[in-house]
Amino acid sequence: MKTIAFEEAEKSFSGRKILRNLSAVCLSGQITAAVGPNGSGKSTLLKLAGHFMLPDSGSVTVREEDAVLKGEALRMSIAYMSPELRLYPRLTARENLSFFLGLRGVPIDDRLYGDVLNRVGMLPETIERTRVGEFSTGMRQRLLFGLMLASNADIWLLDEPGANLDDEGRAMMLREMRRGAEENKLILLATNDSRERGAADEAIDLSEH
Amino acid sequence: MLGLCIAVLTVVVLGAVCFAVPPAEGLGELVRIAFLHIPAAWVSVIAFFMSAWWAASYLRKGEIRDDARSFSSARLGFIFTLLAAVSGAVFSKLTWGAYWNWDPRQTTILVLLLIYGAYLTLRSAMEEHARRARVSAVYSLFSFLTVPFLVFIVPRLYFSLHPTPVLNGSGSVDMEPVMLLTLFAAVADATLIYVWLLLKSSRKEEKI
Amino acid sequence: MRPSTFQSIKLVLRKEITTGLRFRAAWAAMLMFSFTSLVCISFALAGTAAEPKLLAALLWVLLFFSSLAGSDRVFSDEEADGTLMALRVYAPSQAVLFGKLLYEFFVLTVITVFLLPLFIVLLGAETKEMLLLLCTVGAGLWGISAAGTLLSALIVGAGVRSGLFSVLMLPVILPVFIPAIRLTEAAFGGTVVSLNFLGGILLYDMILSVGASILFDYIWYAE
Repeated sequence: MKTIAFEEAEKSFSGRKILRNLSAVCLSGQITAAVGPNGSGKSTLLKLAGHFMLPDSGSVTVREEDAVLKGEALRMSIAYMSPELRLYPRLTARENLSFFLGLRGVPIDDRLYGDVLNRVGMLPETIERTRVGEFSTGMRQRLLFGLMLASNADIWLLDEPGANLDDEGRAMMLREMRRGAEENKLILLATNDSRERGAADEAIDLSEH
Repeated sequence: MLGLCIAVLTVVVLGAVCFAVPPAEGLGELVRIAFLHIPAAWVSVIAFFMSAWWAASYLRKGEIRDDARSFSSARLGFIFTLLAAVSGAVFSKLTWGAYWNWDPRQTTILVLLLIYGAYLTLRSAMEEHARRARVSAVYSLFSFLTVPFLVFIVPRLYFSLHPTPVLNGSGSVDMEPVMLLTLFAAVADATLIYVWLLLKSSRKEEKI
Repeated sequence: MRPSTFQSIKLVLRKEITTGLRFRAAWAAMLMFSFTSLVCISFALAGTAAEPKLLAALLWVLLFFSSLAGSDRVFSDEEADGTLMALRVYAPSQAVLFGKLLYEFFVLTVITVFLLPLFIVLLGAETKEMLLLLCTVGAGLWGISAAGTLLSALIVGAGVRSGLFSVLMLPVILPVFIPAIRLTEAAFGGTVVSLNFLGGILLYDMILSVGASILFDYIWYAE
């Protein structure tokens, strides 16, 4: 059981307060959606959750049962996707997966590779020699999602996961997120999409912050 | 209060340098430059150490005040290093015949000048505040790694004409008491000026 | 299963080599830059027989600037491709630092292997002590790689890029640079110097590597 607790977290960028006095808890086994208009701090909230940045005041704590997760142990349990996060354009899908998964101690073989691509709706044979730089934005998004699925991480931080995806892609993503939640993953997503919002169990509304 | 003390001390030191200090043998009236040069060089080194100290403290605790102090110290250090280098070069021209001799101490002060310059350039190039603080602290400490080289290797590489430091190896002091006293007063004065300016500018920096 | 640091370093190094080799334009630019600088020096001297001291100084100035053309890309390529965030999420800091450091050392070695014979031929340098020259260059390149990798990570996000890297690099690398020139002078048949200088460079290489390793965490992680 993992939890992420925000306690009176505040964050500002060059004098502009993006998050004000945010307190919330996310639990594993649930999909939590951060919602609010553009610029309300959804992406910032995800970055704070992943400890990619620190709050100016207040605290953000990730716990496993009662123990606080920190450093290497925390990093190993987090997977993150956002429009800012890109894979290596000069490597193929398989080389990218093999590199990133290798860093998480997941050896990639033909079976796992085929499996991951099938789950995100891509055909392994057609992209065997294609470098990621030649992928369409939607395909890259799917591959990133596949990396997250295969990474063994218990905490999924998704920033606009449905962006650039077709209807079938969005449906796949919702299905996989639900499946992740059933496997007791902690899923925190930042979204403006009403369907993704509807699929969430809990919501953190940032519009009044 | 500190400002007043400094003003009084500075007047006393200036008076002593102009009227009380006798012309030194071999150096004549030029010896007076030393009372600017030695304190300035002293403060350049102190400021460098303090800047690195506060940089380390910033990385450990993440308090913005330490970053402001580290930066202010580097900025003051840069100015004092310039003073030391220029006064040294003038002194060097008048006594040894050339502005620049690749003397170990000149080399050291040049390296200090380069480090300070690089630090200040890096700082001005970083826009985001938190990252700027972190990056400049890291550079401050990384450049501090050159200290063993400056202390141990440089003196062996270059032949020196520089007068031995006030306290030389044998521990004896070969200087007239009046001069020594004036020198100590000048060094104390320069250090106080550094501390005073540091406190003023780091308070201002903190607010930005 | 968490992979060992050694395995992670190997992964990063392999990734660097694969992406690096596919980026032909970068290699062409680096090699042509060093070649052009060499030809420039050669023209300037125009057949004048240069003394060992001058040759040694020229060789290191050449190596310094050629290495800058390679070193400042260590992290800026990742920044340009937008892959820094992914690397930060998945890779531990020490693996990134040492994987990139090793790759940087490899790149600089390739440039030097290309440059050194041309230098000797074009400038008529007579190498009296080949082994000493190679050891000096190797030790020097390690220092440049260690300092270059850390400094390249520092300037990520800097508003001004060109020039900044060399400004930061020079004071830090002087302790390698100065003894290396003395040793190279000796290798070209100039005054004999103590081998302690080589030991000095290696010691400073170690200091730089350890220093970079400690400081890199502060740049890589937010915590």
